[in-house]
Amino acid sequence: MGFKEILLILLGLAALFGIGYLVVYLVGKYKEKKKAEQLALESGANAAELARAKEIQRKEKEAYVPADQLRAFRVKRTTLKVITYIFLILIALFILIPFYWMVITSFKSAEEIAATKPSLIPNKITFEAYKNIFQLELNPNGTLKRGVPFLYMFGNTILVGFFTTVFTVISVVFSAFAFSRLRFKGSDVLFTILLSTMMVPGEVFIITNYGTVSRLGWVGARLNDDTVKIIGNYLAMILPFIGSVFYTFYLRQTFKQVSDELYYAAKVDGVGDFKYLFKIMIPIAKPTIITITILSLMGSWNAYIWPNLVTDFQNYKMWLVSNGLSNAFRSTIELTGPGNVLNQQMAGSLIVTLPLLIVFFTLKKYIMRGVVRGGTKG
Amino acid sequence: MLEWKKDGWKAAIALGPTLLIMAVFTFYPIVNTFIMAFRNNYKFLSGVDEGFGIQNFVTVLSDPRFLGALKNTLLMVVVSVPITVILSILIAVALNSIERLRGFFQTIFFLPYVTNTIALGLVFNTVFHKDFGLFNSLFNLGAVDWLGAETTYWRAFFVLMVYTVWNGLAFKIIVLLSGLQNIDKQYYQAAAIDGASKWRIFRKITIPLLSPMILYTTITSFIGAFKVYTSVISLFGKGAGASNSFGPDNMLITVVGYIYNKLWEAGTPFGVASAGSVILFVIILLITLIQRRVSKSRVHY
Amino acid sequence: MGIFDKIKEKFKKKEKPQAGDSKEVKEKDLALESTKEEAVFDTETIKKDMKNMGVEIRLEGLTKEFVEKKTNRITVAVDNFDVTIPAGKLVGLLGPSGCGKSTTLYMISGLHQPTAGRIYFGDDDVTNLPPEKRGIGLVFQNYSLYPHMTVKQNIMFPLENMKVPKEEAEKRAQYMAELVQIGDLMNRKPNQLSGGQQQRVAIARALVKMPRVLLLDEPLSNLDARLRMQMREEIRRIQRETGITTIFVTHDQEEAMSISDEIVVMKDGVLHQKDKPQHVYNEPVDEFVAKFLGNPPINIIEGKIEDGKLIVNGKVLEKVKLEDQPIHLGIRAEFFQVDPKGRLEAEIEFLEHIGRDTMVIASIEDASKTFKALVSAQTIKDLEVGHKIRFNYSSYFVFNAETGERLI
Repeated sequence: MGFKEILLILLGLAALFGIGYLVVYLVGKYKEKKKAEQLALESGANAAELARAKEIQRKEKEAYVPADQLRAFRVKRTTLKVITYIFLILIALFILIPFYWMVITSFKSAEEIAATKPSLIPNKITFEAYKNIFQLELNPNGTLKRGVPFLYMFGNTILVGFFTTVFTVISVVFSAFAFSRLRFKGSDVLFTILLSTMMVPGEVFIITNYGTVSRLGWVGARLNDDTVKIIGNYLAMILPFIGSVFYTFYLRQTFKQVSDELYYAAKVDGVGDFKYLFKIMIPIAKPTIITITILSLMGSWNAYIWPNLVTDFQNYKMWLVSNGLSNAFRSTIELTGPGNVLNQQMAGSLIVTLPLLIVFFTLKKYIMRGVVRGGTKG
Repeated sequence: MLEWKKDGWKAAIALGPTLLIMAVFTFYPIVNTFIMAFRNNYKFLSGVDEGFGIQNFVTVLSDPRFLGALKNTLLMVVVSVPITVILSILIAVALNSIERLRGFFQTIFFLPYVTNTIALGLVFNTVFHKDFGLFNSLFNLGAVDWLGAETTYWRAFFVLMVYTVWNGLAFKIIVLLSGLQNIDKQYYQAAAIDGASKWRIFRKITIPLLSPMILYTTITSFIGAFKVYTSVISLFGKGAGASNSFGPDNMLITVVGYIYNKLWEAGTPFGVASAGSVILFVIILLITLIQRRVSKSRVHY
Repeated sequence: MGIFDKIKEKFKKKEKPQAGDSKEVKEKDLALESTKEEAVFDTETIKKDMKNMGVEIRLEGLTKEFVEKKTNRITVAVDNFDVTIPAGKLVGLLGPSGCGKSTTLYMISGLHQPTAGRIYFGDDDVTNLPPEKRGIGLVFQNYSLYPHMTVKQNIMFPLENMKVPKEEAEKRAQYMAELVQIGDLMNRKPNQLSGGQQQRVAIARALVKMPRVLLLDEPLSNLDARLRMQMREEIRRIQRETGITTIFVTHDQEEAMSISDEIVVMKDGVLHQKDKPQHVYNEPVDEFVAKFLGNPPINIIEGKIEDGKLIVNGKVLEKVKLEDQPIHLGIRAEFFQVDPKGRLEAEIEFLEHIGRDTMVIASIEDASKTFKALVSAQTIKDLEVGHKIRFNYSSYFVFNAETGERLI
């Protein structure tokens, strides 16, 4: 198979990958349009009026184009559109191909991967990789020999993510309230100090924090360590990440949009500050708080450096998803050599990525808004 | 003298717990890391040192590994930032100019943002696999080793740039697109009245009005690129702490990578790692200051 | 050859495209090029150019239909609008919000293309010309100054688009800035200016390309009361000095009356009346116009015509030659005089003393049907709330109660 054929097939396949979503998207749009037309008809419009409406809209797009240049104008417009769409499709392919590769590779058998040319569709869809990674095989000393301990990874991540997020949201809500509503000496200075800590790179904190938690004996709980040590290890993963200056700043902006009159009215009615926070501010800022919650959870899901630093490489029971994925394959590859477990690597990646994608597609609105308002990754 | 305004005690309740945690895990570390950076031959667990001085900085700055890491990082910054920013401006403008399928493309372009860096690093590792990878077979390159033992610096660097661009577009596209959509339509009407051509409108109205967003995305990607670490680690698939986790002979080690490797090293790593992180902090501080300057003189309106 | 002539040349070219005659057009361009060198750009030239500004505007059957995006329904914003605006006049386009006055302005500017009808500037049909080829200047309600450009750059922007040589452009910009009295603010950014100053910059930017028509969209609505009075005078002065045909849109009748040469009253996309302000005030064509102009608003008293008599509250007020029908009697507050022998009897509900005059709020049948009468304080000095009072009136209008059509 030459380059051209492969490219063609690939274009087709990657397009196929996106097509599910595309169909859903188009059907949604079509329904919206029909509904609008239905609405118009119900409110007394007739088919002739709708047709004329379309004509008016079309004319508006071609305003001021002399009749003799209309053809050239349309050709130019269409060409520009085609170029734009081709550009966007190419970028979309660039984004989608790794996902596509991840999916198909995870369904290939090890023999097929080892075949001379990588195939773009699995010759035979197998769940071999999935079977393999879910089957944990232990060394005599109890460490992991083979497989990916998803149960522990997911469980730990959810545990750590849950507590980090809950305490972060509480801390952020109260701090944002204090900085947006309460008047106390030094509030501006304190807020400026907090903001300036955002400029400091994480490494500066991590070095000392690593020292702090190791002094407390909270690092690297081993397989046979007692509960106290394990709880310490969890605390090491949770405590340093409670609170967030950035989210405080973000929520404070939202709180500040709540008008002062509302606050004074509440004061006149004898509503206390904290009651005001819970009864009025939080309900109004609910979308922002949801956004913060999601972004914080996603942050835990993607955390790598710190969990990797404070947990024991040998103790698979303490792994979170990111370092777990990386650690698990390190031992598998050492055992079998690279290349033989590509399908397993992809299956593992897929399983780790999937929950994020599901969350993204269900809560797209909140996530994208949060990012637009200045979220940063990491 | 010490006159608390009337909400003082409420603020103490609201902020107390947060400030307590921050004192331990945010404020103290900043101070402590700076101090450690200036303690000669500091033993962390015993807490002894050989006095204060700049020995750690001398060690770091004369370490060829650090200079190599700095060179690598600078190269990544210089290559990846312009590519991602320019490409995302183009994409955002293209998205803004279409109506049909805008939401669809927007969603697709956003996907890399919601993926796990380690997992997708593994995927890129597979795509660029020497024998079984998609890339070699797609372009009929034969068994070119991109990330394995026989790779070259520039090959590995190329893959890293592809992954960085892939990873970095999402955030910038969405920020720039929202910036474009927030430009008051009336400026375009005014420009139409003033008889500006399409190109002039783009150059004289759109780009200047988008400039705060462009500056913002440029600065965040500058800072992000200086702190690059996880994506390099994930690409080579060995995991942090493993030997040669930045490619053969750690060829693509970054400044942050250097700092963490020092943490793992036996001996007196804490002081050296601290010094490294202080240097990183200074670099980022400089970028931020430049940003302040630029935004005051150029985008202020 | 001044810039205005060049623009005119350009318009001519665009309006009468001689198919296939591209050679001739090219020659004209060359001719333009060659004259560029000789041109002298001093204030005299600019002043002379400005004498050429101002042209008659004729709207014929102008109609604008919008399609609502969500429902695909068509709404008519402007309906078959005919009006002629004389050259060199300042005309106020007046109506309540949503009456289509801004849409009309935008159609004249070319930002909106009419669904039907034609727009003429003098003898030129500009209906199918895009905004930049019409020779208009438009000042937006919120000014829309480019925030990233200085005042100077803002004013020069249209000239740069026309590829006017830099030196000339600077001279013209400076002249315009001085005309609107912001000559010393040229290097400021818009956010460093007050609302009134921004307004002036916007006018300068609109005028600098020597347009034939100046359009102002609610020019004073973003200013505070004091500045509003001041800018009113300014707009009037600038218009006089340049002699440019100016249309401004407003919902404030007082504003329209005070500075317009003529006002055009609109409602629901339809023209109601166009005339000199005083004439519209004194002779409204219908109840809407009568009610819309004047402060306090005209008193509308319900009544009827029976056997050629105008009857209000069972009492005959006038003898009229009209058919039997329910009517609205319209009498402005200042038309009333207190007269013991007056025809209209009422009871005083409230007295508002406004210096020399007193506003009497009186009721005819019950307290809910009141009217206002502005009378000399002297004439009611013995009267108090609750007293009966009799009025005479110097003038009155009669409208059909349903259609609002003026009968007398």
